[in-house]
Amino acid sequence: MPGRYRESPLKKPSRAYIALGLEGSANKLGAGVIKHDVDGSMEVLSNVRHTYITPPGEGFLPRDTAQHHREWALTVIKDAVAKANITMHDLDCICYTKGPGMGAPLQSVALVARTLSLLYEKPLVGVNHCVGHIEMGRQVTGAQNPVVLYVSGGNTQVIAYSRQCYRIFGETLDIAVGNCLDRFARVINLSNDPSPGYNIEQEAKKGKRLVPLPYTTKGMDVSLSGILTSIEAYTSDRRYRPQGEPFEESEDIITPADLCFSLQETVFSMLVEITERAMAHIGSKEVLIVGGVGCNERLQEMMGIMAQERNGLVFATDERFCIDNGIMIAQAGLLSYRMGFHTLLAKSTCTQRFRTDEVHVAWRP
Amino acid sequence: MSPTQQLLQSADLISQGAEAAIYKAYLRQLPTSGQAKNVGSDSPCHEVLEPVLLKYRFHKRYRHPSLDTSLTRQRIAGESRALMRCMKSGVNVPGIRMVDVNEGVLGIEWIEGKSVRQLLPGGAELEDIDELEEMDEVEDTDATDALVEYGVSRDALMDMIGVEIAKMHSSDVIHGDLTTSNMMLKEKTRDLILIDFGLAYYSTLVEDKAVDLYVLERAFASTHPDSEPLFSGVLAAYEKRMGKNWVPIKRRLDDVRLRGRKRSMVG
Repeated sequence: MPGRYRESPLKKPSRAYIALGLEGSANKLGAGVIKHDVDGSMEVLSNVRHTYITPPGEGFLPRDTAQHHREWALTVIKDAVAKANITMHDLDCICYTKGPGMGAPLQSVALVARTLSLLYEKPLVGVNHCVGHIEMGRQVTGAQNPVVLYVSGGNTQVIAYSRQCYRIFGETLDIAVGNCLDRFARVINLSNDPSPGYNIEQEAKKGKRLVPLPYTTKGMDVSLSGILTSIEAYTSDRRYRPQGEPFEESEDIITPADLCFSLQETVFSMLVEITERAMAHIGSKEVLIVGGVGCNERLQEMMGIMAQERNGLVFATDERFCIDNGIMIAQAGLLSYRMGFHTLLAKSTCTQRFRTDEVHVAWRP
Repeated sequence: MSPTQQLLQSADLISQGAEAAIYKAYLRQLPTSGQAKNVGSDSPCHEVLEPVLLKYRFHKRYRHPSLDTSLTRQRIAGESRALMRCMKSGVNVPGIRMVDVNEGVLGIEWIEGKSVRQLLPGGAELEDIDELEEMDEVEDTDATDALVEYGVSRDALMDMIGVEIAKMHSSDVIHGDLTTSNMMLKEKTRDLILIDFGLAYYSTLVEDKAVDLYVLERAFASTHPDSEPLFSGVLAAYEKRMGKNWVPIKRRLDDVRLRGRKRSMVG
């Protein structure tokens, strides 16, 4: 908490620690090697990722995604270990995503982690995906005690740290913001490469017209499914032109770019608003944006304006750390491993539902 | 400069939240017809200045300007409508003095008094104190003294809270943010006044009323230690006032309590 200093329970390591992190809770398969040095510094030795990309208009299905992960797991891990210039024997622990995420992809990656653990006799550490994002964001940006906006394809939460727990202040009541954007990208047939959200962002830059959409903040929470329905409805509006070209100069039209623009402006305003409320409530001046949607520059810009008005600071990372990756799992896993935590083989399950506030954050004061 | 802006400039900033800034300003009271002949001269000594509270929903620069304008309009209008509705049904709320949707300013009656939070044990700390911190033991004497000074017993206060909420719910207004900070005991009349209708809306649903009560229960529990007997006093008065409408609300409130966190996280 600001103004009150407590000693960190995490002691400086007596030797260098190295951990491998494996992530595969959605369509990204990631492996990363991280090193915690004796002086307390962190070094990313490697960060390899392979994304399962589906054709435009299609989302990724659990079974196909799991198959993608199985096919690529060995290549990605070998690559990560080689780039880190270590051998598997140098590792202290193997960290994997325990949840939340899609069941089948999580299971395939957990299986790989278990196998590696048995082969090389390394302890396993199961990691909460959301906590991985937060810890990586804190480490990369140096934010001390920020309010965290975690926005991705599967999660939308406003989080603040309190007494060794990441407390959820506000969240989505239905679908995640990334899900909302991705599904709309599919409706207007945008490419999934590199990601639907990125293509929405590029399209939105060309948009000029703000169409009215519902604005659904509910206290600290937001609801997004209704916004998706109403933006979809605009694509069957008489004024909608999928090609974005008016038949005549003066014609009143709505283009896909306008819709992307309106969707972003509305949804991001709601997110910034609930984040601001959380900041005002706990009296924090720092915001950290993590998760895949956190790469969006418009969201970062809006958050920046809000933070500036409150004399605060906004912290965000780039796509290497925002989008799901193995490094963040290694970082959060290694932190808890250094606090003496590891997951027994018999308990090394994974789960689709794993709330951020269920994790005991032993390494923070 | 519009008259509203002039008024804002003359006002003192009281507090600034995420949504709005609160100011105290003075309005000149119009002479009533009986006094009219006395106020022939414009001398300021005859002027009666009435204090008002201005709630200024300032422009949010991060939002698209047209989105921001329409939201501010909606929220100011919604808050004033809820207040009007309450007033018509005889709920004790601050009177409306001015509404300017274009500037985003709502002017309401200035209430001199203390918030219920300050009058109950545990709530004496400053309102903006970090609620996440361990609650340091605060002497409850301050709060009790204040209540004694007002000549109102704690039970009577709980009773008044229950009655006011019941009156509000009977007129189908849902407050949306019932906490002990959003209720005041007026110094002059010893009336309980409900304030801050920024999240209020109109609904006839039992669900919404039950959730409203649940929000208050949580607020009691988080700010006032050992609040169970206090809150049950509120509910008893509410029950009495609601009459036969209480049964479905009671049933739903029990359901809502079981819900806890809204959902287990997916994906």
